[in-house]
Amino acid sequence: MPEITILKRPREEAVITQRMFFKKTARGKVMKVLRERYLRDDISCGVNACRACNAAAQTVLPRSGDTTHKLFPTGHYILPDTNVFLAQMDLIESNHFTTPIIVLQTVMEEVRHRSLPLYSRLKALTTTDEQKVWVFYNEFRSETAIVREEDETPNDRNDRGIRKAAQWYNAHLTLAHPPIRGQPNLALPKVVLLTDDFANRQKADNESIPCISVRNYVEGMKNSDQLLDLLSATGSDELEPTRAVAGRTALYTDYLPMSTLLAGVKAGQLHQGHFNANKYNYLEGTVPVSAFTKPVLLVGRENMNRAVQGDVVAVEVFDESEWKAPTDEVIDQDATLKNDDAEDSEEEGDDLMVHEHESKALRTERTKKPPTEKQPTGRVVGIIKRNWRAYVCHIDSTSLTSNNSTSLGLQTVFATPVSRLLPRIRLRTRQAPSLVGHKILVTIDRWDITSRYPEGHFVRALGKAESKEAEQESLLLEFEVPYRPFGKAILDCLPPEGEQWVVPPKSPANPEWRDRVDLRDLIICSIDPPGNIFKTSYKSGTLILGPPGCQDIDDALHARRLTNGNIEAGVHIADVSHFVHPDTAMDNEAAARGTTVYLVDKRIDMLPALLGTNLCSLRPHVERLAFSVIWELTQDAEIVNVRFTKSVIASKAAFEYGEAQLRKDDPKLNDELTQSIRLLNSLAQKLKAKRMAAGALNLASPEVKIHLDSSESSDPVDVEQKALHETNSLVEEFMLLANTSVARQIQESFPQTAVLRRHLPPPHTNFDKLQDILQKRKGLKLDVSSSGALADSLDECVDPKEPAFNTLVRIMATRCMLSAEYFSSGSVSRDTFGHYGLASPIYTHFTSPIRRYADVLVHRQLAAAIGYSPLHPTLHAKMHVERIMDVVNRRHRMAQMASRASVEFYVGLALKGRNERETEVVEDAFVIRTFRNGLGVFVSKLGLEGLVMFKRDTQFDAENYTITVPSSGTGQPDVAISVFDKVTVRIEVEKDKNTQRGRVKMTLVSPVDSRAL
Amino acid sequence: MSSISKSEKAYIQSSLLSDPPLRADGRGLTDFRTIALESGVAPLANGSARVSIGRNAYDGGGGTEVVAAAKLEVETVGDGEGVDGGRVVCSVSCSPTAYPLLPSNALDDLQHDMTSLLHATLSHPTIRPQNLCILPGKKSWLLNLDVIIFSDAGNVFDAIFMAARAALWDTKVPRTRSVQYRTQKSDRKDATRAMDVDEATHVGSALDTRETVQVSDFELPDYWDEGEPLDGRQIWPVCLTLNLLPTSHFLDATLQEEASVPLKLLVLYSFQSDTTPLLRSMRLLGTGGSDLVQIKSLLKDSEKYARIVWTALEGKLKDEYHSLRKPSF
Repeated sequence: MPEITILKRPREEAVITQRMFFKKTARGKVMKVLRERYLRDDISCGVNACRACNAAAQTVLPRSGDTTHKLFPTGHYILPDTNVFLAQMDLIESNHFTTPIIVLQTVMEEVRHRSLPLYSRLKALTTTDEQKVWVFYNEFRSETAIVREEDETPNDRNDRGIRKAAQWYNAHLTLAHPPIRGQPNLALPKVVLLTDDFANRQKADNESIPCISVRNYVEGMKNSDQLLDLLSATGSDELEPTRAVAGRTALYTDYLPMSTLLAGVKAGQLHQGHFNANKYNYLEGTVPVSAFTKPVLLVGRENMNRAVQGDVVAVEVFDESEWKAPTDEVIDQDATLKNDDAEDSEEEGDDLMVHEHESKALRTERTKKPPTEKQPTGRVVGIIKRNWRAYVCHIDSTSLTSNNSTSLGLQTVFATPVSRLLPRIRLRTRQAPSLVGHKILVTIDRWDITSRYPEGHFVRALGKAESKEAEQESLLLEFEVPYRPFGKAILDCLPPEGEQWVVPPKSPANPEWRDRVDLRDLIICSIDPPGNIFKTSYKSGTLILGPPGCQDIDDALHARRLTNGNIEAGVHIADVSHFVHPDTAMDNEAAARGTTVYLVDKRIDMLPALLGTNLCSLRPHVERLAFSVIWELTQDAEIVNVRFTKSVIASKAAFEYGEAQLRKDDPKLNDELTQSIRLLNSLAQKLKAKRMAAGALNLASPEVKIHLDSSESSDPVDVEQKALHETNSLVEEFMLLANTSVARQIQESFPQTAVLRRHLPPPHTNFDKLQDILQKRKGLKLDVSSSGALADSLDECVDPKEPAFNTLVRIMATRCMLSAEYFSSGSVSRDTFGHYGLASPIYTHFTSPIRRYADVLVHRQLAAAIGYSPLHPTLHAKMHVERIMDVVNRRHRMAQMASRASVEFYVGLALKGRNERETEVVEDAFVIRTFRNGLGVFVSKLGLEGLVMFKRDTQFDAENYTITVPSSGTGQPDVAISVFDKVTVRIEVEKDKNTQRGRVKMTLVSPVDSRAL
Repeated sequence: MSSISKSEKAYIQSSLLSDPPLRADGRGLTDFRTIALESGVAPLANGSARVSIGRNAYDGGGGTEVVAAAKLEVETVGDGEGVDGGRVVCSVSCSPTAYPLLPSNALDDLQHDMTSLLHATLSHPTIRPQNLCILPGKKSWLLNLDVIIFSDAGNVFDAIFMAARAALWDTKVPRTRSVQYRTQKSDRKDATRAMDVDEATHVGSALDTRETVQVSDFELPDYWDEGEPLDGRQIWPVCLTLNLLPTSHFLDATLQEEASVPLKLLVLYSFQSDTTPLLRSMRLLGTGGSDLVQIKSLLKDSEKYARIVWTALEGKLKDEYHSLRKPSF
């Protein structure tokens, strides 16, 4: 008979075992929540071989603790308070920080309450193998569970809980190390409470719990030199009433409390939005809010009130009489604030000088501006969410007080972020001299009202500036691209055969062949960009020529005449979903990466390379699994029917665009393959004509080709624009057709969760400025009423003397548009599904599953739609799909920006090379923007945008987008330069003397030489 | 509610009218059975109490048993039923086991009668607690007071009001803090503005209403705190049932006694410290009749009895309140 005992809790115990709290829901209801707490005695302390605890528990803490710290020779563990994790996460995460850590449940919960990103970092920390971290569930262990006392704040209660746990641990360790008879008493390791809360330390001292502040602790560590720099600026002086911060004048107004902000936003008195810094003028920023069509303008440091690019802020909008127009002047932070001193920039004289500089910069003739250009103007009254991350920076060498490279003294220096949208960051470091000329990673810790600049701390060095590795890594970090190599768990998801994997012989016994159509005999070929191109984007972007041999072919085509006179055409896409199963480590990683990122000299894969370059590459003469879309089309390219099927194909040939073009045009060739290409081509022409008739846009982006010599040296040899073949558009048309057909199918099967892609029509106001410029400068009209009208009027924007003018207008029009996005069909209304640029009512991405995660999802949904496999439950959940779409959209955007930045870097390198070879680089350029003191120009040959600055004042006519500059020769009349004018510029790559930040500098050569200005 | 025969009725009546009056359980005419009161019985409610009258001390069975629980809900004023300053909504429901003999529609009628009396008395604006208001004109608390009758062994109205009173006594309103956003024109420091814009245009305009405080939302300053007691909790009335016989009256009738009297008088008094008590409500129930002179003298008596009940209840509730003030997490 098993013995059953019922442990019934007496009612009086409810005090300790029940926790009651109120919760205010998002809809404003108040709920009373009651939770049961079961206290137990068998929660392990986590120390290896602890005699007092359950022996079976998996423990991680070494038995004698850490013995390397000066102050604790008998060994110790640290038990950090919540504020340590909130403020010093970089320190704790460092590889040099090796002390075993005890994390209390109370602390975990407090961290979660305060900051979710920090909480996930803490969670990640508790699961790494590199550091010894033990989570102790103190609230559930009967000895350490505490009850809130009357009139005790939640904070005090938690602090008491933490101290209680520290006390218990120290007592517990004596049990774990019982004295052994005949041996002298062992010196016991201690559990040290690590906290920056002065009051908590005092109380701990009274209760004789060993405790220490973070700074004091780190100073005693064996590798304190590296670690001290990681200390965040917050913490110590905030909670310790020692340093006098008072006496400094406040430069900014205080933020309103969070609850007030939310109330204000709710009541419509405040507006919430993301802060966007202006990259031309560091004293100006905008916040797009839903209440106004134009974003809210913030003018001046005080009104931007410590907002940093990307923060979610609450702004107060001024009266309409105070509204201003955005500045038309370029104000450069580095130039204006050259003489600012990092050590004590708050000193009065200095302060006044900076103030004067800035107010002079701000005092433009804003008031004279026509009222139409005025936009809502306001100020930041609070931050709803900070989006601070680690920024790639350079140390400003002039801010160093001592250049002696051996000096290890602590100095305060400025770090200038690579991104022009960010303010300078002040940080204290001992390694300043050795960091000059390096790219380093810096985190912002805080921004006080008394401090002009945010304060931060050094995270790590990336390497010498302009070295390929450092530039590459800084790019990836700057655009938050996950670039770590794939872990073992992910690689384990690949087929065990690896590179040797082949399609098994056809037999019903092989699961690969289940429900697959055998298309091995079809004349299928693939047409791709030249072999050494990493990727090509159909609509826009940059062709990047990489070293040969790393090609992935993810699509193939075929076409043949049917007996009834119609044509059968097929698109075959590598069957990635056969290898990537839902909810596996590989799938989760791919979902998090979202897309493959292409840099000029590196590709960061979304899926392991084995899939991309082999198993899912539709190489010629090799059997491969595919997902096929097969249409029956009439001669006029009307779809008669379409079917989707999983298949096995064996491509017959892989062509490059040029090859395919030659083959098509060669009248001597008449084999099946050539005929099929001709057939495809004729269909593609008709499809394109139809698309254009429907109002599809022909957009343009600067397109540049960078040749890399070889994989080793990888110095760009030259920059050139890409050539277009008819066959490019052949592939493009069929991919668009496949995507559209698939989109219809999955939307029909899964109306709530189909993964689709849309491109919203841009608001007409986006085009206001461009329309105005075209009208005034060229007398051209731009009709933006629909995509078709826009396409037509763009076709008419030609300057017979200047063929490149049309491309320029297209580029500028493209910039006025919104970006396309993925979405889940159940999340938006049916009438907003359309793709504006393609003029298609519905669209998705199906054709590149190897490099886009959305395509993987679409493959799964299509497979379920045709009854090939059941749909994974997560793809039925709207919330889940929405969440993935958000990630994928963000990653997609970041990836685009990263590759653009990478191209810019290489264009810079190429220019540098040219500057060394030639005496000077002079190129034609178009003026695309006029400022009071400069011109924005676009060098179409290099796809490069630049800024020409004039030091002397010029006459500026904002209405007509014209500036008038004095001519270079004396006696000659002044020269007027307007938008769309063609000028010649001299391009140099100049290194900022202080920060080593390379930048392209342009000066005007004609009509006037701007060096004189 | 129990059905008894005519002869039983006559027997009970005559013994009550005899001198000295005789009751089956040996009580005097104005004696109550033992009343047991326990508050905080429903942890998820904001306030609750259980009252039992005449429970058998040995096995805990029998007697009239009533549980009342108050639950607070946030309401938006002007949106549906929300009322500025909060409101109280009461309901009484009878467990079918309390009246096993009643058909379900009769039970509904009974519930409805009881609900209307309780609601009419307790939701009266004059006794509405002041702290049911969260944001004036915007948000307020709705106090739902639900009373359940588990068993009826006579004198159920007194029990209902006693339970209701104890539950309201026990009720704690979560503390809220109003959050507001005020346009702070005066303390703005704007470098460009001082130069370009004429300051005087903004100051002193009588039409400028932006300076007014506009409270728009509230927050809970302390999630772990039960809150503060309901305001003015002495004022909640007590109910007293006088069972009327032609020449006398008695209190706290058992079921049989209730069945044998033709008329009952319900009076509801609220007492505020030592001033004259306030007669909140009065009901005559039953088939018999009465006249003004009799009622006048009855009211005088009932006031005396009610004060005794009130004092006893108040004392007990205060004890209970202090012993139950439990620390929370």
